[in-house]
Amino acid sequence: MKKIKIAFKPWMGFVLFGIALALIPLLAEYTTFVKSSTIITIGGTVIFAIAALGLNILLGYSGLISLGTAGFMGLAAYLSAYMTVDLGLPFEVSLIVAVLVPTLIGVLVGLISLKIEGMYLAIATLAVSEILRKTFEEFEFITNGFSGKSARFPQLLGFIQLDRASTYYLIVVVLVIAMLLTYNMMNGQVGRAFNAMRGSESAASAMGVYSLKYRLIAFALATILASLAGVMYVHFIRFAYPSTWNLKLSLDFLAMIVIGGLRSIYGTVLGAFIVFAIPDLFLKQIPFFNQLSYVLNGVLIIEVIMFYPSGLINIGFDIKRLWLKLRKGIHDAGK
Amino acid sequence: MMLENNELLKIEALSIQFGGLKAVDQLSFTIHEKEIFGLIGPNGAGKTTVFNCITQFYKPNHGNIYFRNIKDEVINLVDLKVHQVIRQGVVRTFQNVELIRELSILDNVLIGAHIDYKTGVISQALRLPKAVKEEAIYKAKAEEILKKLGIYERKDMLVFGQPYGILKKVELARTFMSDPKLVILDEPAAGLNDVETLQLAKTIRQIRDDFNCSVLLVEHDMRLVMDVCDTICAINFGKFLAQGTAKDIQKNPLVQEAYLGKEEHDE
Repeated sequence: MKKIKIAFKPWMGFVLFGIALALIPLLAEYTTFVKSSTIITIGGTVIFAIAALGLNILLGYSGLISLGTAGFMGLAAYLSAYMTVDLGLPFEVSLIVAVLVPTLIGVLVGLISLKIEGMYLAIATLAVSEILRKTFEEFEFITNGFSGKSARFPQLLGFIQLDRASTYYLIVVVLVIAMLLTYNMMNGQVGRAFNAMRGSESAASAMGVYSLKYRLIAFALATILASLAGVMYVHFIRFAYPSTWNLKLSLDFLAMIVIGGLRSIYGTVLGAFIVFAIPDLFLKQIPFFNQLSYVLNGVLIIEVIMFYPSGLINIGFDIKRLWLKLRKGIHDAGK
Repeated sequence: MMLENNELLKIEALSIQFGGLKAVDQLSFTIHEKEIFGLIGPNGAGKTTVFNCITQFYKPNHGNIYFRNIKDEVINLVDLKVHQVIRQGVVRTFQNVELIRELSILDNVLIGAHIDYKTGVISQALRLPKAVKEEAIYKAKAEEILKKLGIYERKDMLVFGQPYGILKKVELARTFMSDPKLVILDEPAAGLNDVETLQLAKTIRQIRDDFNCSVLLVEHDMRLVMDVCDTICAINFGKFLAQGTAKDIQKNPLVQEAYLGKEEHDE
């Protein structure tokens, strides 16, 4: 019999990962083990992972910091809600506009990043985010101010009305596509240019990497992913308050990629689960711990930076190495 | 025509001033095709500044830098931006190796081909056939260069943790990805031991022949300079001192004075 050997390609991994994520709502329906409110938490986590992936391109690969992720995500969320509910535009049209507008602003921030670095760039992006948040509070005719803006589950192509479960599938598909495209870009010429820029600006320009162009691309990619996440958020949670898009959310994105792993695509998703899903699913059940998720994140960041600078995603490799060592030890002892 | 037939780079009355300090003062020299040209001088003579002027990291206050580029046109490098210089066929290494520690050796070398990629972000993200093909071509080219430099076996290892001699070679390999006409080496022997330095001399001659380019090097290791360079230019305090073969330079009283100091005569 001939053995059929299929070479394992990275995209297969992403697809399998997506299928595994998509199975969670099914489990919720058929078992009592997973509660139906869990889908909202997991769906939210997947949405945040999409935005965190963008921040990882920016900070992990290109070495440019941004504390403005929440603001851009919020802007996209409000725009999409306003266009679908108030203007009655199709979901696809509002998706495109809601991604384009924040991306243009993101590219402008990229222009600023040529002049300021590090800490000051963090402050500048934070300022942009806060301006956006203040705008959400004040522009009531679009955002409905403090009372919050509601939206509906997306309607695809004008006649396919999604419900909670199918919107969840849509979100998983968006995440898988985002992971795949990010992987492709970061392992090619563009990703190398980002890495070169982070490593040494002078070496990068000596190799012909035009910093302005690649900074703009990095900011554009990060904002596109943040906006996509914003649109998904408002049509999945179906509500947006100005207070959601605050500094804490931006810092949470930072925590996700640092804890999960800088420059790691799976690590970003792992980080999102650690920062969002675990406190929500498990810690909230324990009376004393329910307010401690902030503390947990802080402690985790310190632990990870000290012991796992490349992120918790690498813990797998270490366990495997330890296991191999142990097995070898047992094997040797057996002789 | 600013350049004679076999002239590659001509520096004409180059001057640059930092505040009140004249780092380079009315310096002129010419590098020919397939020449190994050494620039020497005591510490603070302005050698690295000359490098940075050629590669446009610094903009000179005065002077011209004519270069015969890949398309055989004569251009003035002063008119270009830093990231455009490599397209003309001038590529440099750095005194303190500037590589990306988190990437593999092969990926680091591939950065040298950055300007040659024709496909854009979108075709790369979608892995369109032309993008895949392009990546394969440059990967093969990088592997070829790594083989020539004898570090092919390490291509998939991370740069982080590699010995210094290997890092220098990786940086060298990176420069050849762009098919340069002029390779500028900033203190290639710094940090290498005696054996590695001897090897380096061999490598420099070999790359000149294999890749058909000129080499401009700044170096403190006099043995290497005297051994490998066809022509040497000595400068001090940013000013031209002497130019000639290794023997001429060693005999030149001005150069001896610059390195060893003036002889004191008792009256």
